[in-house]
Order: sequence, then C-alpha cells, then structure tokens
Amino acid sequence: MLHRLESLESCNYNGMDVAVLERQAARLKWQQQNYVVQNNNLVELCASSMPQFQGLSGSNLGSGQMVQLKRPEVFLGSGDFQEFVNFPVAGAEFGDSEKLDLVPPEAAADYCISRTSSCQMTALNTSVMKEEREDMVLEKMESTTGSGRESFNKRKPEAVADHKGKNKRIKGEGESEVKTKCSTEISRNSSKENSKASEVQKLDYIHVRARRGQATDSHSLAERARREKISMKMKCLQDLVPGCNKITGKAGMLDEIINYVQSLQRQVEFLSMKIAALNSSVENLPMKEFPAYVANFPAAAKLPAMAGLPYFQLNPLQKESVNCMLNESMLPPQTATEGIASASVSISEQSLSSSSMTQLQPFSTWNMDPQCLYNMYNMGFH
Amino acid sequence: MNPSSLKSRFTTRFLRALTKINAHKPISSSSPGPGEIFQRYRRIKVAADKSMAYSVRSRRTWSRATLWRLRTRSPRSRLATHARRSWVKTRSTRAASHGKEKKEDGGTVEAEELRELVPGGEAMDLCNLLDETAHYIKCLTTQLDILDRQECTSREL
Repeated sequence: MLHRLESLESCNYNGMDVAVLERQAARLKWQQQNYVVQNNNLVELCASSMPQFQGLSGSNLGSGQMVQLKRPEVFLGSGDFQEFVNFPVAGAEFGDSEKLDLVPPEAAADYCISRTSSCQMTALNTSVMKEEREDMVLEKMESTTGSGRESFNKRKPEAVADHKGKNKRIKGEGESEVKTKCSTEISRNSSKENSKASEVQKLDYIHVRARRGQATDSHSLAERARREKISMKMKCLQDLVPGCNKITGKAGMLDEIINYVQSLQRQVEFLSMKIAALNSSVENLPMKEFPAYVANFPAAAKLPAMAGLPYFQLNPLQKESVNCMLNESMLPPQTATEGIASASVSISEQSLSSSSMTQLQPFSTWNMDPQCLYNMYNMGFH
Repeated sequence: MNPSSLKSRFTTRFLRALTKINAHKPISSSSPGPGEIFQRYRRIKVAADKSMAYSVRSRRTWSRATLWRLRTRSPRSRLATHARRSWVKTRSTRAASHGKEKKEDGGTVEAEELRELVPGGEAMDLCNLLDETAHYIKCLTTQLDILDRQECTSREL
C-alpha cells in the first residue's frame, strides 16, 4: 500500500495539487484499516510527505517522528488535539498504536485542507466518516460553549455533506490562532456564512445559523426564530393599520391594532344600520337592477366612512331605530338627536381611547354640530 | 373588476342577501317601526358577515369561526354551542400554556384582547393570531368599502 502511495506521489506530484495528493493518501490509508503499518514504514511515509506539509504549514519541523506527528496540532492550533488522537510519545509504541491513529495526522490535516471550497470530495464511504472526524475536530477547535457535543449528535442524522452547511459555527472568524492556508480558507467561508442573517431553510430540520456572540442551544435558537417571525408579521400589520409608523414596540402596536379592529367592526355595524334605515324608507327598490349597481359603482361616490355624518338626515323613526341599536349595546335610551351624536361620538371616543372598550356615556348637554363630530372622528382615527 | 377577487365575491353574495332581505320584509303601507328597522339592521349585519365569511370559505380560522357562530346562533343548537365552547377552552388553555412560557405579561394582555376581537382567535398562538388579524383587517376594509358604496347608492335613490 505504501509503495502504491509513493508511486502516486511520484507520478502525480507535478500535475496535481498538494491537497489532492494528501487526500488520496488519506483515502488509501482509510480503506486499509486492517493493515498494520510498521514503525519504519510510517517514518518513511512521514518523511515522504514531510515536504508537502512543510510547504503548507511553513512551520519549522524538527527532527524526529514525534514532531511530525504533532504537526496537526500546529495546523489546528489547539492543544486538545492530542487527546483526540492517541499519539504515543515514545517511538517504540508506535507500532502498537491503532490504525486509526495513523490516519489522523494526514487525514485531519487533509480535512483541514479539504474544507476549502476548491476541493471536491469524491471519496467512497469515507465522506461520512470524514465528516464525523471533521465534526469532532471542529468541536475541538471551537471550544466555546458546551453545544459542541450536542451539535455533533444533531448533525449525525442530517445528510449535510456540504461543508458550508455547518450549523452553529460560532466564532469561525475568531480562529486567528490557526495560521495555515486551510484556516484562512475556513475563516473566509465562515465569515461569508456568518454575514448572512440566520438562514432558515426548510429541509427535514430547520437550519438556523447562530450569530456571533449569541447563545446556541436549541431552545434559544427556536425562540429567536419565533420572535423574528413575529416581528416580521408585526411589520406587515404596520402597513395595514394606518398611522402606525411612529409607534415602535410590540405593546403599542398591538394596542393600535386592537383599536383599529374595534373601529372597523363598529363601522360595519353603523353602516349596516344606515343601510337598514335607508332601505326601509325606500320601499320599492329596483331589485333587478342590483347587478348593474355592482358594475357601475362610481368611484366618486366612495366617501370616507363617516363623511356622511354632516349630511346625515334621518327622519324621527330612523333615529329611533338608531336608539334601538344603542339599546342593544346596553345604553340608556336617549332623545333622538343625542342618540345620533352619541353614536358617532362613541365611535370617535373608542378610537381615541387606548384602553379596552368603554361604555358609552349619556350626554346631558351637547352643543356639537355634526361637522365638529366629523372632525373629532377624523382626528381620533388618524 | 377582477371576477374572482375577494371583493367581487363578497359583493355578489352581499347584494344577493340584501335583495332577499328586502324582498322578505312585508311591504306595509305604514312606515315600519323602529323595531323592524332594528331587525333589518341585524339581518343586514348578519348578511354582511356571512357573505364575507363565505367568500373566504374555510381557508382562514376566523372565517370558519364566524360561520360556526352564525350556524349555531339558533336556540335549538345549544348543544353545539356548548361543545364548541368546551373545545375552544381546552385548545386555548393548551395554546396559552404553551405560549405563555416565554411571553411577558404586557404582551399577553393585549394578545388576549386581540383574541377576543378576532373570531376564532381564542385558540391560537401569537404567530398565527397575527396572520389571522392581518387577513381579517383586509376583509373588514373590503366589507366596509362595499357597505359604504351600497349606502351611498341607496341614499341616492
């Protein structure tokens, strides 16, 4: 296997990228996990691949295989890497080490490199395993909150083979310790991703990206997503409800919305009362001509809802019917003119008040003319 | 006018209902009493709400709630009303307990008020409630527009 590797290196070194070479080396080794590599073989391998590593890291590699094996640490800039990979300190133990351990230095570094956007992962079954490794490596690198483990566990069922789709990468930009070419690539990618606001894609799971400096447990993420949805909807409602541009804050907005909905409902009642009153006075309505009315609604005839107030001339009976409407809302009966005035004033009152619906007050003395009421209404409405 | 828009659907239905109401009332020679006018007002209001709810069909929670309410207004269906109220209560407690965990008190109070205003809003969380409110406001404005035009037309007659 090693001679194959060396042959690979020899033939392809000129044409291929160093990273591709490393990848192939890792792949071969990974596939042959049962193969026990001898001590000297490994040294050979390390020695042969040393120039490439040197070229990448630029670090001053001392002699001895242990230094070479420690290279991934320099790569990743994390002291935790040793825990992850059981590298024996003494050289004699090297032959007994796990096969898996042999793979990591090149493999891990390779993963580092392969995370760059230019790489194409064409490995067979190694992609999943590589991802697992990579996740763990990532966690070690980003030793921030304790969400690392749970994010790893969550990522397992997801079929995210795309490296850019890493969830919950918190401080990708902050990894300035890693000085290698792969690290700059990583940070560039992550800054690109972090610059977007939290992305919500509808796959099997909702992928949300945590912004820099924010908590990343699942609860707060879900809560944040929910809050952003609500604020979006409040913005839409702001467009619907007139006069809400100056108001900021959820509570004030909700108050305005409540007032508006109440006033709309009152207007509907009032208009239907008007129609009832008017229809009753006009006994023979031309029934057949109603469809024509639909087609010929003149735009000019559309007045604002309460503009009819100054011209509101009800005969006494209709006024009494208005009284009935007011009686329905539990008011004491009033004289005819006061009834109309209180009806209109109540509407303006309700739009003026910001509390819940108040009882309509009887007016003892009232000198307002309809025009005044209309102005008051408009004032309260807008 | 777009033939399949909400406005046209509502207009046709409402006018149809209006003609029915006008045809329904007994044309008495003497002017109708205030009670009659009041009754007609109720019928017209119901017609407006009903035609609006029917124009929206069951696509929205508020329209479904309005239709239910209109159907079960009659005294013989007390059972249905009772069943509906208990169902609403269970759903609202569930929604409230779920939604109130992370909500501040001020927001909840106003949300409750809004729930009372919007039909069918008792058993919804804030997110859906805002959706329903937006659609409800849009439909109310349409309704008002048509009612206003109708009123102008009948006034000119």
